Amino acid sequence: MKVVNWFTPAIALARVAWLRTVLYLFVILDMHAFVRDTRLKGEHTGLYQPLFLARLFDLPRPSVTNTTILYVVLIVACLVGATNWFPRIAGWVVAPAFTWWVLIGMSDGKVDHDHLALVVALWVLPTVKPQQKGWRAYGDQSRSEAAGWAVRCVQLSVIATYFLSAVAKLRSAGWVVTWPGSAVLTWAIVRRPHPVGEWLLNHPWMLHVMQWVGFIGELLSPVVLWLKGRWQLLAALFFIGFHVANTAILLIHFLPTVVCWLAFAPLERIVPWFQRRSRSAGDAGQAEDQAEDGGKAKEQAGA
Amino acid sequence: MAVVTTGGAGDVRLGRAGKGLRVLVALVGIGLLVNGSVRATDDVWPFGPMSQYAMSVPDDAAITYTRVSALTDAGTTVDVPLNIEGAGVARAEIEARIGEIVKDPSLLQQVADGWAKKHPDKPKYVRLELIRDTTQLVEGRVEGPPKSEVLATWQVRR
Repeated sequence: MKVVNWFTPAIALARVAWLRTVLYLFVILDMHAFVRDTRLKGEHTGLYQPLFLARLFDLPRPSVTNTTILYVVLIVACLVGATNWFPRIAGWVVAPAFTWWVLIGMSDGKVDHDHLALVVALWVLPTVKPQQKGWRAYGDQSRSEAAGWAVRCVQLSVIATYFLSAVAKLRSAGWVVTWPGSAVLTWAIVRRPHPVGEWLLNHPWMLHVMQWVGFIGELLSPVVLWLKGRWQLLAALFFIGFHVANTAILLIHFLPTVVCWLAFAPLERIVPWFQRRSRSAGDAGQAEDQAEDGGKAKEQAGA
Repeated sequence: MAVVTTGGAGDVRLGRAGKGLRVLVALVGIGLLVNGSVRATDDVWPFGPMSQYAMSVPDDAAITYTRVSALTDAGTTVDVPLNIEGAGVARAEIEARIGEIVKDPSLLQQVADGWAKKHPDKPKYVRLELIRDTTQLVEGRVEGPPKSEVLATWQVRR
C-alpha cells in the first residue's frame, strides 16, 4: 500500500492550478519558438515521414487546412486552460492536439527528446478535478491525491528524461561506459561551432570532465524523487545548471523539460506567502500565525 | 472513474478504482519508457530512447557536417541557411535524409522553393549542391581544416 500511495501523495490543488497556467502558456510559446515548423510542414509535405503514433491512429497527412485548424484550436484551448476556468475541457483538447502538433513537427527524420515531461503533463493535468475556479484556484490549499498523482507523473517524466539519457548512452556503446571518455562534445562543437565551444576544443580534458559530471548526474537523477526540502532544491539547481552549460556548449536549451521542474516546486505556497506579506505589512504582530502556516506548507513541500 | 471521498484531514482522497487505475497507468507508462530506451527507436516518440548526443565518438573519428551550397541567379555561391527562417528546412532534416537525397536529388527542390517563397526579393537559387565536410580527429583533437565532398547536385526547376 505504501508503494501505491507513493504515486498519489496528497498535494494542494493550488499547485495544479499554477502548473496549468504556466504550462498552457508555455505551449503557446513552444508553438512559436521551439516546435514551430508544424504549419510549414503542412505546406511542404515532401519530407513527411509519419512516426509510429501517427500511423497507429492513422492521422491525416499534414496540410495547410488541418495544421491551421490545429494551431487555432491549440491557442484558444491553451488560453482558456491557463485561466483555470473550464480547465479540464480545455485540457482534454490541448493534450491530444499538442501531441499531434509535436508529432508532425518531429515527422521529418529528426526527433527531439525534450518534450516528454511537457506532453505527459498535458495529459495528466485534465484528470485533476478543481474545487475552485479562476484566480481562486491559485490559493486552494485543499490537498488532493488526484493532484498528487498528476504532479508525480510530471516529476517522474522529468527524471526519466535524464535517467533514460544515461541508459541511451550505455546502450549505444553496447552496454559499456565509453561515452564519458569519448570525443562526443568535440564532435558536437565541430558541427556547431561558436566561440565558447571553439575555445574548449583546445582543452579536451575539460570536455571529458563535463561528460563525466553529466553522465553521473543523469544516472543518479532518480534520487531527486526522494530528496526533500533544500536538498531537492539543490538537485534541481544542479540540473538547471546542467542545461545552462548545454545551452552554452551545444546551443541546446531543453526548456520544455526545464519548465516541468516546477512540478517539484511548492507553488501552493505562493498565495499564502503574498497574503502573509500584505498582512504583516499592515500588522507586524502575527508571528504565531505565520509559523503555523509555514509548518503546514513545509509538510507538502517534499512531496 | 474517480470515486472521491473526503478524508479525515480534509484531503480529497481517491476511491479504490481511481487510485488503482492511476497507479496502473503510471506503471504502464514507465514500462513503455523503459522498453523504448532498451530496444526501440525514435519512431515510437514519445516512448523512444533519449538518444540525442548519446553516441560514443572515438578519438580518431572523422566528423562529418552536411550543408547545402547554392549558386544564385546573381552569380554568387552561398551556404543555404538551413533553418525555418532561411529555407524552411532544418539541417537535421537534411542530414537525416542524405541517402534519399543522393538517390533522388529532386528532393532539394523544396529547399529552393522554400527560400524563394520566404525571400522573394533576394537572388534565387539556380543550382544546389549537397556537400559533406569532413574534419579528422587525431587523439581526440581536431587535425587540420575540413575536406569537402559533393554528394548530390540539383538544377533548380522554375
